[in-house]
Amino acid sequence: MTAPPIIEEQRNRSLPQAALSAVVPGLGQFVAGYRGRGLSILLTVATLVGLTIWTAAQRARFPDYGFSSRAFLALFGESLAILIFLVALYYLATRTFATQPSTQALARAVLIVLGVVAITLVSDILIRTVISEDQDRMLYGLTSLSGAAIVGAIWLWSIQDAYFLGDEFVPATGTLILLGSLALIVLGTRVTQIDLPKAFREYRDTQVILRRIVWPWQAAFVYDTNDLIASARIQAPCPPGETGPPVNEPHPDDPWIVVTPTCGDLSFRDSMGQLDFGTLMNIEGGNFRPNDTARIQWQNPIGEPFTPRGFGESELVMGNDGGFTVEFYIPDVTIPSTAAGAQVHTLNVIQSGTARFTGELSREMKLALQEMLVTIMMGMMATFVGIILALPFSFLAARNLMNSIRSTLEGFVGGVFGLIAGGWIGSRVAAYLSAQLGGLEGAPVETAALNFIFVLGGALLLYQLAGNLLDRLAKRALPTIVARLISIIGLGIIGGLLGYALGVGFANGVLSIVYPAGFAVAMAPRAGLVGALLIGGLLALQAYRIGPSGEVTTGQLIYVLIRTVLNIVRSIEPLIWALVGIIWVGPGPFAGFIALTLHTIAALGKLYSEAIESIDPGPIEALQATGANRLQTIVYAVVPQVLPPFISFTIYRWDINVRLSTIIGLVGGGGIGFLLIQWIRQFQYSYAGIAVWLITITVAVLDFVSAEIRERFV
Amino acid sequence: MLSVEHLTKVYSTGTVALKDVSFQVEEGDFLVVIGLSGSGKSTLLRCINRLVEPTEGRIVWNGVDITAASEAELRRIRRSIGMIFQHFNLIERSAVLTNVLSGRTGYVNPWWSLINYWPLKERERALSALQRVGIHEKARNRADELSGGQKQRVGIARALMQEPKMILADEPVASLDPVLAHTILSYLEKLNQEDNMTIVCSLHYLDLVQRYATRVIGLREGELIYQGSREAIGRMTDEEFKRIYGEEAQRMAVVGHQVGT
Repeated sequence: MTAPPIIEEQRNRSLPQAALSAVVPGLGQFVAGYRGRGLSILLTVATLVGLTIWTAAQRARFPDYGFSSRAFLALFGESLAILIFLVALYYLATRTFATQPSTQALARAVLIVLGVVAITLVSDILIRTVISEDQDRMLYGLTSLSGAAIVGAIWLWSIQDAYFLGDEFVPATGTLILLGSLALIVLGTRVTQIDLPKAFREYRDTQVILRRIVWPWQAAFVYDTNDLIASARIQAPCPPGETGPPVNEPHPDDPWIVVTPTCGDLSFRDSMGQLDFGTLMNIEGGNFRPNDTARIQWQNPIGEPFTPRGFGESELVMGNDGGFTVEFYIPDVTIPSTAAGAQVHTLNVIQSGTARFTGELSREMKLALQEMLVTIMMGMMATFVGIILALPFSFLAARNLMNSIRSTLEGFVGGVFGLIAGGWIGSRVAAYLSAQLGGLEGAPVETAALNFIFVLGGALLLYQLAGNLLDRLAKRALPTIVARLISIIGLGIIGGLLGYALGVGFANGVLSIVYPAGFAVAMAPRAGLVGALLIGGLLALQAYRIGPSGEVTTGQLIYVLIRTVLNIVRSIEPLIWALVGIIWVGPGPFAGFIALTLHTIAALGKLYSEAIESIDPGPIEALQATGANRLQTIVYAVVPQVLPPFISFTIYRWDINVRLSTIIGLVGGGGIGFLLIQWIRQFQYSYAGIAVWLITITVAVLDFVSAEIRERFV
Repeated sequence: MLSVEHLTKVYSTGTVALKDVSFQVEEGDFLVVIGLSGSGKSTLLRCINRLVEPTEGRIVWNGVDITAASEAELRRIRRSIGMIFQHFNLIERSAVLTNVLSGRTGYVNPWWSLINYWPLKERERALSALQRVGIHEKARNRADELSGGQKQRVGIARALMQEPKMILADEPVASLDPVLAHTILSYLEKLNQEDNMTIVCSLHYLDLVQRYATRVIGLREGELIYQGSREAIGRMTDEEFKRIYGEEAQRMAVVGHQVGT
């Protein structure tokens, strides 16, 4: 459009439309024919109003205050005022310097952000000073207010939008998007309970604890202290007729105190916090260091010490002769109603001596170091075992290697039966051999190893043998019809076994949810039969379809199977696996090791297999062309190519595992995490600080080392 | 004698790479396969050692039906058919010597080879194979340190380790410059003439074809469209070559290059 700006400004502006939008946001647009625009404005405003009211209603949960419509209206008015000011500012800006559309858009964006910030800040002040001092109220007020401000802004914008609608100038939808995002941010702030004032309010209280965590090293060492302590025993409460423990005698050389009486009543604080003093004691002492301070410490009958405050001077100053006299009320000590017998407390006067640095590590520091080592080892072992188990899986889960593995139908059927038979024979052999060695109790490691070797070895061996045998028989010796029958029946039986397991599983797993347990159990065999017939039949049909010596993509089958298992195991977090480990072997590093190992196998299996999939296929082809067998091809053409990424991934995983093992301790997986969470629960923040430091140092060092090593290999 | 009978290959994607191709290669032939990219040359070569499984047809070599061989038999057949590739297909991160030795995998004890143990005899054989192609001094270098021409020579040495009776060369000089192309092809020619190895080689350039081939077959879109003797090739003009080969045929621009050893 090349129309002069003067004409453009005068054209088609509609006050009635603006008025309509002022009553119901979006109505003006709707009437003018911009239905979608009008509806979306209305929806946005409605959502935001709902949100604002909901936020405001949150305040109603505080029974004393309720919903303050006055506050809401005041804040709404204030937002409107700011908005009008901003609109005026915008008008001025477009007339003076921001004459280009791009600068106008920028000015709009800046003003909107400014507007929201201004509204939030001003309303914060407004609430603080005028309406209420209560902080909770302020907090909810603040968000409801921001909501109100944004509602106001969009409302106002919709009026302006309706007014200019007939113009060539169509207000940028960017504005609406920006406002919508701001509304979302307000909602997000609410839902995630982001509370900046609280963060500032509470910050000071955290200082004491934070300092202990940030610099805990005093707790890491043992100090020699030469405190002077003198104690006296006091019975409280004092039943009639009791005289309490005997009164101390002054000691000629060591520090001493004499307390009278040694039997009295406890102070008592009622529910309103009003203190009713108990018996007043006279404490006299001597042989302390002269002109130095000492403090009074109280130990209740079960020996827990505390410093009583508000019952007299608990900070004492010794005289020139090292003696003192002071009056002190027996403090309020909660004695459980179940306590039996005389309740004898101890009053200590402690004069702190100088603490001498001995250079010896404290018990906790030693413990933390030891557990840190356990943690690193846990991560290391998990990585180590993980690699060993992930390697075979990764080759089986590499598409490019597995896709070429195909067998004839007969070979496949023979192989599966061989696999089952071989596994069974292997397990029998392993059971016999391990029984000779002393069984699971006598020789657990040997039993496990035997089972692993014989079951796996037997299964693989018979898979190969039976597969080859049936394949050859079918090709050379057996008449076609017999080979065909064997493969159909064989695959049918395999399907039947699979289907039976699935059916029983369905009955136990799914039916038992809907029907009573007894019914599900009774149905299990029937469901198994149905499953067996169904799947067995299907596979037999498939065998018929494939035909004699037809091709079965065994490799793809294995690939899909392994990938699925790896993906499932990997998508379950190590923390969850740690829970499984804890149920399995009880809390401790072993549980953590199991969790990390399982996750490592799955994660590395996937990473490795992807590395294998991305290799150059040329060398594989070259090796195959020389007549190399499958293993030789892998060793010469695949391994050299995947070695660098394997090393890189392994070190990366080791890094991750040590990090994770610190976390896994939190749920009971042993190691330093376990120690850390215990110390936090006991409010032993200095010790927790030591643990945090050790973890941080370890992770940082590991990070550096792993990055260095990986850089060198890739 | 290699006899290809009614060979057809249809890939699982439905692409028909070869359509009923039949021809024979006499022992001691230097057969050159010409044709555009995608005309089925690579597929044809790979069907011969069954790197690509033929869909239909038979390939009989010295009376043995390669297409019907079992896996173990196939490995035995493959080890006496050397193969060299356009992109050399070396194991880049391994030493040259290891690359050459890997050509011997079909002969040695597979278990020893898995831990990269090679008897002295085999290592000497590898060194002499390298010597034959003139880069024995690079035996300890990593393959990725070599230039293209050197890599292809390692490829030939690897094939020599198989003591092959036939060599399949899949565009062996397409990634090399003209001078190197002659060097490489002259090695193949020497093997063909001195050791009486059958060579089946795919090439792009007419003058290379004229210089080295004793027989030529031409493929277009998977079909065999030309068979010619050495004499027929020698008489062939650029126009004829283009008609068979397609419009993109080129003459190599190196004239009078002397091949040295």
